[in-house]
Amino acid sequence: MKDKTVLDTFAMDFVRIAEKHAKYAIVSGFVAIAHGRSRGTEDVDIIIERISRSEFAKMHEDLEKNGFDCIQSSYPNELYEEYLSKGTGIRYVREGMHIPEMELRLSKDSLDDYQLETRKKLPFTGLGLYFSSIEMNIAFKEELLRSEKDMEDARHLRIVYEGKINEAEIEKIKRMIRRLRLR
Amino acid sequence: MRDKTHTQQIERWARFVRDNPRKVWKGEQGPLIDSQISMANRFYSRLEKVLGGKEKIRRLRRLGKGPHVPPAST
Repeated sequence: MKDKTVLDTFAMDFVRIAEKHAKYAIVSGFVAIAHGRSRGTEDVDIIIERISRSEFAKMHEDLEKNGFDCIQSSYPNELYEEYLSKGTGIRYVREGMHIPEMELRLSKDSLDDYQLETRKKLPFTGLGLYFSSIEMNIAFKEELLRSEKDMEDARHLRIVYEGKINEAEIEKIKRMIRRLRLR
Repeated sequence: MRDKTHTQQIERWARFVRDNPRKVWKGEQGPLIDSQISMANRFYSRLEKVLGGKEKIRRLRRLGKGPHVPPAST
């Protein structure tokens, strides 16, 4: 039996390059999938700390050198000015492939900074990656995203981590979401 | 809106994941994840080869992700 899925390997290969250039956290759907949630996805989402244009150019060149193409453009200055600096994500795929995609964006506010600050390696996943915390993922899915799929992801995480979840932390993050993202 | 049995299935599977070693649930979940990616890639590759296929792929992605997708260009 394979120990890693295509998504696992894709995320690990990408992070191996990206982490040389910036602090990161994997967020959103892949967090639930890495915890066994049985559903499909076409992308993995990653937040990185706010880095400069020149630092990003180095990261981008390193990713290209290692077989990752950016869908939007191959020009790092354009990617930084037209997308990242405006809070929009950019998408990388393996050269010649359509999916999976890695959606990368810069931290855009104190909530994203907090996601990076409280990132964790989660042994349950068997992957050596940094994820945003379980409490963070549940709070985002229940308070901000709220689609059927997101609510199911949150339910899955709540069951997998039953008895180990910090509800006060979830409430704190939900208050931050209301203040920073739902005004 | 999905019915109650769907929610029950989500919860049953989550308990299975919680209560079993990783290699057990991964053995069931992994092939599903891999086949979804593989089937989607095969679909996109076929679509890419038909007339207007590349534009359709761009439109499909735009539908899925809104402003994250770049403007269509050749």
